[in-house]
Amino acid sequence: MLEFKLLAMKKLNNYHPKSKVRVKNKNLIGGFNMEKEILIKIYQNIVLLRKLDEKLIELFTAGKLPGWIHPYVGQEAVVAGISPHVRKEDFFCATHRGRAFHVVKGTPLRSFVAELLGKKTGVNKGRAGEMHITNWEVYSTSSGIVGATFPMAVGFGLACKLEGGDRIVFCTFGDGASNRGTFHESLNMASVWKLPIVFICENNLYAQFTPSRLTTAVSDIAQRASAYNMPSKIVDGMDPIAVYEAVGEAVERARKREGPTLVECKTYRYHGHFYGDKWETYRSPEEVEAWKKRDPTVTFKERLLKEGVLTESLVKEIEGRIDSQIEDALKFAFESPEPSLEDIYEDL
Amino acid sequence: MYEVTMPKLSLTMETGKIIRWLKKEGDKVEKGEPILEIETEKVTVEVEAPASGILHKILAKEGEEVPIQKTIAIIKEPGEEIPEETVVEAKREVTVPTAEKPVERVKASPLAKKLAKEYGIDLTKIKGTGPGGRILKEDVLRAVEEAKAAAAVTVTPTPPTPTPSVEKAKIVPLTGIRKTIGKRMAQSLQTAPQLTITMEVDMGEVVKLREQVVSETEKKLSLRVTYTDIIVMAVAKALKEFPFMNSRLEEDKLKLLEEVNVGVATAIEDGLVVPVVKNADKKSLVEISSNIRSLVEKARQGKLSIEDVSGGTFTVTNLGMYGVDVFTPIINPPESAILGVGRIVEKPVVKDGQIVIRPITILSLTFDHRVTDGAQAAVFLQRIKELLEKPFLLFI
Amino acid sequence: MAKKTIAYIDAIREALREEMARDPKVIIMGEDVGLGQGAFTVTKGLYQEFGKDRVIDTPISEESIIGACVGLAMAGFRPVAEIMFNPFMALVMDPLINHAACYRYVSGGQVKVPMVIRTLVCQGRGAGHDHAPFYASWFMHIPCLRVIVPSTPYDAKGLLKTAIRDDYPCIFYEHIDFYPRKPNLGEIPEEEYLIPFGEADIKREGSDVTVVAILTGVKASLSAAEKLEKEEGISVEVIDPRTLAPLDKQTILNSVKKTGRLVVVETDFKTAGVGAEIAAMVVEEALEYLDAPVKRVATKDIPISFTNEKYILPDEQAIVKAVKELVLK
Repeated sequence: MLEFKLLAMKKLNNYHPKSKVRVKNKNLIGGFNMEKEILIKIYQNIVLLRKLDEKLIELFTAGKLPGWIHPYVGQEAVVAGISPHVRKEDFFCATHRGRAFHVVKGTPLRSFVAELLGKKTGVNKGRAGEMHITNWEVYSTSSGIVGATFPMAVGFGLACKLEGGDRIVFCTFGDGASNRGTFHESLNMASVWKLPIVFICENNLYAQFTPSRLTTAVSDIAQRASAYNMPSKIVDGMDPIAVYEAVGEAVERARKREGPTLVECKTYRYHGHFYGDKWETYRSPEEVEAWKKRDPTVTFKERLLKEGVLTESLVKEIEGRIDSQIEDALKFAFESPEPSLEDIYEDL
Repeated sequence: MYEVTMPKLSLTMETGKIIRWLKKEGDKVEKGEPILEIETEKVTVEVEAPASGILHKILAKEGEEVPIQKTIAIIKEPGEEIPEETVVEAKREVTVPTAEKPVERVKASPLAKKLAKEYGIDLTKIKGTGPGGRILKEDVLRAVEEAKAAAAVTVTPTPPTPTPSVEKAKIVPLTGIRKTIGKRMAQSLQTAPQLTITMEVDMGEVVKLREQVVSETEKKLSLRVTYTDIIVMAVAKALKEFPFMNSRLEEDKLKLLEEVNVGVATAIEDGLVVPVVKNADKKSLVEISSNIRSLVEKARQGKLSIEDVSGGTFTVTNLGMYGVDVFTPIINPPESAILGVGRIVEKPVVKDGQIVIRPITILSLTFDHRVTDGAQAAVFLQRIKELLEKPFLLFI
Repeated sequence: MAKKTIAYIDAIREALREEMARDPKVIIMGEDVGLGQGAFTVTKGLYQEFGKDRVIDTPISEESIIGACVGLAMAGFRPVAEIMFNPFMALVMDPLINHAACYRYVSGGQVKVPMVIRTLVCQGRGAGHDHAPFYASWFMHIPCLRVIVPSTPYDAKGLLKTAIRDDYPCIFYEHIDFYPRKPNLGEIPEEEYLIPFGEADIKREGSDVTVVAILTGVKASLSAAEKLEKEEGISVEVIDPRTLAPLDKQTILNSVKKTGRLVVVETDFKTAGVGAEIAAMVVEEALEYLDAPVKRVATKDIPISFTNEKYILPDEQAIVKAVKELVLK
């Protein structure tokens, strides 16, 4: 047990704010005018994802949410950082911790929340739940099988390539998924066929209940890209700007049909693998607290306030808008009917 | 209070049967004194009282099968009060869950079951010819036909099976046609005093005749006339001349029948049926022959109609093809006589002082002694012999 | 209608070619399918005709080949993958079962996953346990998968074209015995034709027993039927379902209602195999028409080794024996 803690803390220290991995381009905002909208968009997404998951946890503990829930809380900076680069027509592969992606991709909150509640008005008619949402209006999909989306991303990438144009694929995954055979098969295929895919690893240091160090031969997943002759980058996943920039480079390569890239984001989940797991058994409260000090909802807000991008009143306005959107979606979902017996025969 | 329980007397004993109580309720018993007899799978033993006292209650009746260790009686000390609940409780315990009587399962294919239901056939009365005696579709269909034909079923010389004292046998329940034949034959022998007389017939001329007829009819009519056909023709002619043989005994009246309808006993799988050649005396040989052919064919396919098997006035049964010479056929009631035909075999016979080899057959005529006597029956048989030895007479 | 004679292997290639020419969304992918012409030359010439983007040589990555097909299919393409030997299907179960088969339904109809996996049954050639076996019941078991088992050039072409146009994942079985040209010639129309799924073909009519047979079992059953007719006077009806999922239950049931007896002939392992499913279906839906137990003629439940096939694969003799056991007493 002690060994676990030491390993985890050692890992954590590597990415502590005081360590050498730093947020680049501190002065970005002043230098680029148009980025103010992007910064606000990123911030809004961070807030939305945080508030949404907190609400869902509330519902879950109240016994109002069927199934289980794998909270994204803590990792918001990654998806929020990616979000400005994603176009509606781009393919997006999410993970089982994937609710956030679909919303950012453009799935309406109402049908999204209705889906989580298993309602007929859900984006997948109440058949997918939190882990399996596919919204083909905006080309986002996910899988409950860790690592299953790598080859699907290859398929999407082939489709993009065959169609021509500059459509690309975003494939997010966790550190644990990089141990699947599909990761290696698919990165090889993507590279050899120069497919327009951005692989984004959200390395939150744990595969379910096990520290990556105990199961993974490399400490940086990005290292693995070199085996497939694929460029890669490691960034601080708690810093949305760092994510935004690194993914931006990868997106540009993909749109120019220069091939796939792997971006590894060092991040952290505050809750367990799913809500309610006994994470105290495999990591220390100190470790969790240390990561929480870098919480993007706090640190990024402060930076934006400091830089004058946000004002207190804008923060209030954004939070108020998101709260009411979530309330509206919940009301819609609760009032929606459940799938009926006849409905089970649809889409066969 | 002492409880008397069913003792376990062997490793494998699970229950014991109460044979007899040697004491009755209220009797005084001594410890070690036999109070009842029980029977296990192996032996009958006496059960001794486990204690001295009064036999208060007997909880298992004679003949009852009781699991071991169950209380079968209660002995009390003199003066002891035993609450009724205790007894009731003990009694409840002793009640053996009576094993459900095993329902006799009929092995039949699902299709056979369905057909049986449709035709109202009782499957327990059918013998299955499928693997392991499974009743198949064709078994049911045969039973359907037999039910139709049953009225005319007759004649089979089945020897009574001796029952060995220690039987080691496969039990084949008599069903369907077998059962009907048995019943009718028993009824025939029980009601009619029957006598069989036999007579040798030189079939030389019949053989010749048949060859000639066959050579004429085979190609033209695709018909092979058989000896049975010729014998039926001869019998029909003789019956017309001896009406008492073509009769039915009804109480104390003999009904001489006008129609001469000759039944031909025909073996089928599982038994035999007797399709009838109607007005055989008025038919030509070719007509008789083709009539018999079609009846036999129908019989083998199980397609005989009630009409085909009813109205017989006399029966011919031919066991010649099975190598039988002489036998004692049983009359097919309500007819008065039956003619058995043996095989045709070449034998040295004396003819005109010479020993010659002739094809000989033996005819066995069984008749109802209430209808006629040996002498008259012999004359009838004589006439048949004559008709066969001089077959041109058949055409006069 | 004008007819032409074609070999089984060429009928498959013709179906692929016609569909690729008709629909630019049809893509072939697999190991050796392009430059290598396909392990058994089935895809010969297509790489040259349609180019490397539509006839894609893949790495030896079965799971990702099929996973990529799922992605392509969701993105609107119609991939036709080749999984070289049937047992290699074990490597593709996750993308096929958990994704391809389910996504249309669990997405509430948002996506379709139209794809074909062609795979080879290589029994009887000493190919061993991981190359030889025929596994079809695995896929019959999964809702929303199509399982296609053509036994003639006509069926192969017509069914493959239908499979490529179908909106569900299809497993298309080819048998090594069908690849040599000479013994596998058959007539097909000159004109384009398609064979709908779920339509069995009555290969021979009969009245005493129904034999449902697939792939190599069809030919063996037909020759067994002839022998039984000649030697025993038993009239055998031979039905080739052609697709196991969807299964033409009605044709099988109608036949069993006529004959009262059923033998299923297939070379999957016997336990919980193709025959088990068909037998169960018939017992469930036509019990009262059965005059005998249902017989399964299938591969013995023993792993196939490179030497044991002659003992464990069913042959014509096994079919004759099974029919006789049902019909004769």
